[in-house]
Amino acid sequence: MAILPANIARVSNNLRANTSLNQIQRTQAQLIRTQNQLATGRRLNAPSDDPGQSTIAAQIRKTLEKRDAYNTNLQQAKNGLSEVDSTLGEISDLALQAQQVASANVGDLVTQEERVAASAIIKSIYSQMVTLGNRSFEGSYIFAGDRLDQPPFEEFAGGVKFKGSATTLRNDFDESTTGDFQVNGAAVWGALSTRIESSADNSPSLTGVTRLTDLKGTTGEGVTPGVIAISDGTFSANIDLNNANSMQDVIDAINNAAVGTLTASFNASGDGLQITGGAGDEITIRDIGGGRTANDLGIRTNLSGGTGAPVIGSDIQPKITPLTPIASLNNGLGIDTAGLIISNGTKTATIDLSSATTVEDLLNAINGAEVGVQAEIKADGSGLRLLNPTQGNEMRVGENGGGTAADLGLRSFDTNSKLGDLNAGKGVRTKDGADFRITDSNGVAFDIDLTTAQQDVQDVLDAINTAATTAGAGVTASFAATGNGIVLTDTAGGAGTLNLAAQNFSQAAADLGLDAPVTGNTIEGRDVHEVVAQGVFANMNKLQRAMAEGDQQGITEAAEAIQQDYDRVVRMRGEVGARVQEIESRQTRLADQNVSTTALLSQIEDTDFTEAITKFQLLQTSLQASLQTTGQVLNLSLIDFLR
Amino acid sequence: MSLTAALNLARNGLAINQAAIQTTGNNIANVGNPNYTRQSPTITTAKDQQWRPGVFVGTGAQLEGIHRQIDDALEGRVRNSLSDAENAGAQQQWLSRVESVFNELSDQDLSTQLSTFFNSWSDLANKPQDLGLRQVVVQSGVSVATWFNQMNGEMQSLRADLGEKLKASALKADTLAEQIADLNGQITRSEGGAVGAEAMGLRDQRDTRLKDLASLVEIRTIEQPNGVVNVYVGSDPLVFDTRSRGVTTTNETIDGRVVTQVVFKSNGGVLQSDSGELGGLTKVRDALDQTNADLDQLASSLSFELNKIHSSGQGLEGFASVVGSTTIADTTVALTDPKTDLKVMPKSGSFVVHVKDKASGLSTSTLVQIDLDGAGTDTSLDSLITQLDAVGGITAASNGGRLQITADNAPSSEISFSQDSSGVLAALGVNTFFAGTEAGTIRVNQQISDKPQLLAAAKNGNSGDNQAARLIANLETAGLASLGGASLKSTYEGMVSNIATQTATASASAEASAVVVETLQAQREALSGVSLDEEAVNLMRYQRAFQGAARVVTVVDELMDTMLAMVR
Repeated sequence: MAILPANIARVSNNLRANTSLNQIQRTQAQLIRTQNQLATGRRLNAPSDDPGQSTIAAQIRKTLEKRDAYNTNLQQAKNGLSEVDSTLGEISDLALQAQQVASANVGDLVTQEERVAASAIIKSIYSQMVTLGNRSFEGSYIFAGDRLDQPPFEEFAGGVKFKGSATTLRNDFDESTTGDFQVNGAAVWGALSTRIESSADNSPSLTGVTRLTDLKGTTGEGVTPGVIAISDGTFSANIDLNNANSMQDVIDAINNAAVGTLTASFNASGDGLQITGGAGDEITIRDIGGGRTANDLGIRTNLSGGTGAPVIGSDIQPKITPLTPIASLNNGLGIDTAGLIISNGTKTATIDLSSATTVEDLLNAINGAEVGVQAEIKADGSGLRLLNPTQGNEMRVGENGGGTAADLGLRSFDTNSKLGDLNAGKGVRTKDGADFRITDSNGVAFDIDLTTAQQDVQDVLDAINTAATTAGAGVTASFAATGNGIVLTDTAGGAGTLNLAAQNFSQAAADLGLDAPVTGNTIEGRDVHEVVAQGVFANMNKLQRAMAEGDQQGITEAAEAIQQDYDRVVRMRGEVGARVQEIESRQTRLADQNVSTTALLSQIEDTDFTEAITKFQLLQTSLQASLQTTGQVLNLSLIDFLR
Repeated sequence: MSLTAALNLARNGLAINQAAIQTTGNNIANVGNPNYTRQSPTITTAKDQQWRPGVFVGTGAQLEGIHRQIDDALEGRVRNSLSDAENAGAQQQWLSRVESVFNELSDQDLSTQLSTFFNSWSDLANKPQDLGLRQVVVQSGVSVATWFNQMNGEMQSLRADLGEKLKASALKADTLAEQIADLNGQITRSEGGAVGAEAMGLRDQRDTRLKDLASLVEIRTIEQPNGVVNVYVGSDPLVFDTRSRGVTTTNETIDGRVVTQVVFKSNGGVLQSDSGELGGLTKVRDALDQTNADLDQLASSLSFELNKIHSSGQGLEGFASVVGSTTIADTTVALTDPKTDLKVMPKSGSFVVHVKDKASGLSTSTLVQIDLDGAGTDTSLDSLITQLDAVGGITAASNGGRLQITADNAPSSEISFSQDSSGVLAALGVNTFFAGTEAGTIRVNQQISDKPQLLAAAKNGNSGDNQAARLIANLETAGLASLGGASLKSTYEGMVSNIATQTATASASAEASAVVVETLQAQREALSGVSLDEEAVNLMRYQRAFQGAARVVTVVDELMDTMLAMVR
């Protein structure tokens, strides 16, 4: 509305016409805006209609669009987990069925023919189980973890091999929550044995190329990049390590800062840093603000260690990565590269490490040996582990004449093995009195009585060697340098042959693997500490075999193991059910949130119809009035009265 | 004192009123002319005649002049208000065109495209092995890239339109200045320097031209005693006396963009106008350039940050051969050297290259160090090629300035990458999702769109892993170093909000300045406008005066007859 001068002395025709015209145009402009609001139902048609509110509207729209993704994720997770849920149901049904068959076939009332017939049922259950294990849903194998594009179970060397991954996939359920949408197939099926884990700390020594991301740091939580303050008591500098990638970068950064005569290097033990200064320096190294870089790097020294004392950093625990050189393992001591002998089921391989330079080469040598053994780096990066992914097969890892397996802490059977763990946990069965008698080639004999005093294999070796000395027999007991097993060597050099015989019907010698034939002057004992991956398939296999062979003890054992499988599957089904429920409640909450958010968006973006229609009416009236007055006023003129 | 004198007096009266009626007629004829200034005759009393000492007889009226009813100060204010209104109007009109490029608050806008794109990654994380979902990711990536290209194209063409408009307006201003200079000359000639003389038609014409010129540029006028009006833009004279310095445009290239400048024809000096249409257009162009630069920055950040994640990820299968999408101008200098022509710079760090034997599924990994700390020998493309070439099983070469890595035993072996802390792969366009770094050039890497299996959803090397996809899905809201800690989402929202606020401000000020123009024009109309009623009254008045004067002639004529009859 134009502001007309209050004291208009005269009104010209143009003024009258312009005023009317402007008024009509303005009303019409407002009218068309209101009309547009009514027609589109939207108050904001372009951000400039109300920049402040539009920004909020844009953010709300983004939130809604983002929630679409979360909703899809939740729906996918729900679908996938529901499929897992029903599959787990089928698995438990089959396990139950197998157990019923097993219990019906124990006892003397069942003939062997009937057992053999029933074993066919178990066989069919077994193959159904394999099918369930390889079940796919919408193109994803539900038990394969992050290898979901391939079936996770495969027949291998008489067993079933797990080719999937124990790493389950997750996705975002909202801004701050991620959730698994798979279950760990290995856990469901009991598919992986993890017994051979490096018992030693194989952590490598630091080198210049060691990446900061490959360090556990002093706290075990990695190294947080940041700025550290270094002072020699006189000079000081802040050193920005935000862009440091490797240990060499850290050392260079400190040395390039040239604080007095301070220099950085690796410490003597090769597992940390060392800052050395001149004789009169009082070195302090601090973190700036809330930083923790110096602490993580093991060199934080808020108080000087004394005049001239260097700062010797603590162990910052470099992790093993595929790129780690073998020579730097075991804190720089390296490992013996004589190699390993690995056997799994019917397959045996000698792992040649002569050309291996990195841990990856080592892993490749084992994984590529086609014995169905999977080698990987332990999650904490302190060593390796060997998995036997083939259910029902026995895995053994021994030396190839050197110390490789021992250096890596991966020997499956050694002098430290507990007697109670041998023979897949059955242990060594002893009798009161002598368990076995050893006779040397001169005919000097001595008895060995194993008691609770002998805890591990070394104790047995000691007992044999002590008894041999006491008896004056030329026999030494030792542990095999190649492969695994107790070795008895005759040193008497007599005319007879070395002999070992069980006493008192004791099975101890057999359980120790000493029932092997005499070759020359030695008895090379068997490896009796195999690693067996337990699980549904192995147990089914065992049950079927036991039934076919009429081994009632075996049937009972297998049935008990299947009971455990059943319990585990039922427990996991419960977990999955709980997760599906959680996802459903999340979906409901998301839908509720969407309703209120959409309402908010509508409040901002949409036309308030009551208001708009009222305004429309008002404007209409106003326009009508303008038109009418204009029509009348512009028509009035004195000219009409002239004659 | 004579009858002749009386006759003369009457004749004068006739002539004056006839002129007055003509003026009124002129006024009536121009009643609809908005630029017309009402004219009114100034009729004064004629000089007395002494009849005898002490007694004076009037000799009638005389027409002192016909004048325009004008307030020059008000005219100046009208012109200024026109400058402001046109400035705001041009901004409103063009900025809303810029705003419409964004088309925000609808389902057809970049923010929706980005949501769809990132949501497709999120969905891919649910089934990383699904080729259909991979195709969806590629397609939505193509949509985002095309959207960027189109927005950039629209801004470019808007910019070209704006340049044309600037040129046209400058030409118009030039013509007007020329005309004003010309009218200055005509007015001085017509008025001949006489005091009070007014060449009204010419002056009206000049006032109209001045108003038109003020709509284009903000001007200041100073009228000289001889009737000349000097016109200044800022402190620079545009029209001086009867000469115009002329207005034209030149094209300069600033930061790779052609900038149309409005300059004086005479010396090429920049014609700096903050108001008027030219001022508004210049401001819009600056805003448009800023928005375009922001859009480029957004596209570049999206491309680089996503590529950083993607280049360290792995697809369902590796590469038999991979060619970087970025061409390095100088392969011998450090990768941080401007001579490389790299838009995004890598930094010191390392990456791992894996060569996988497909039959056994085993990989050999090699750590490749990138040294760009500025000390010693920094990594150049050539030295990187040497480093990569030394890795067993692969051959690296420069393919016309682009890094090419080939697996020696392809197709039985393949290459993949991981753990790039240097950003060098993203910078060189190796194993990237997007190629191109600006809004106009961003596109989906041809290798990926040809073969979506290469889309990197995995980070740990397992084909079904989804970690890279999840990282990318969350990229939109993550704080990014390349945006100074802001996220893609907030940056884009900021851009839209910025242009919306500018448009809204221009809109509001256009409305406000229109009111000012109307008000001032109403004031001007009140003074200078023609009122028909007034003219009708005047007409009657002058008619009657004319009739009266004619009657006087008749009477004097009769008196003459009487006098002559006396002689008979």
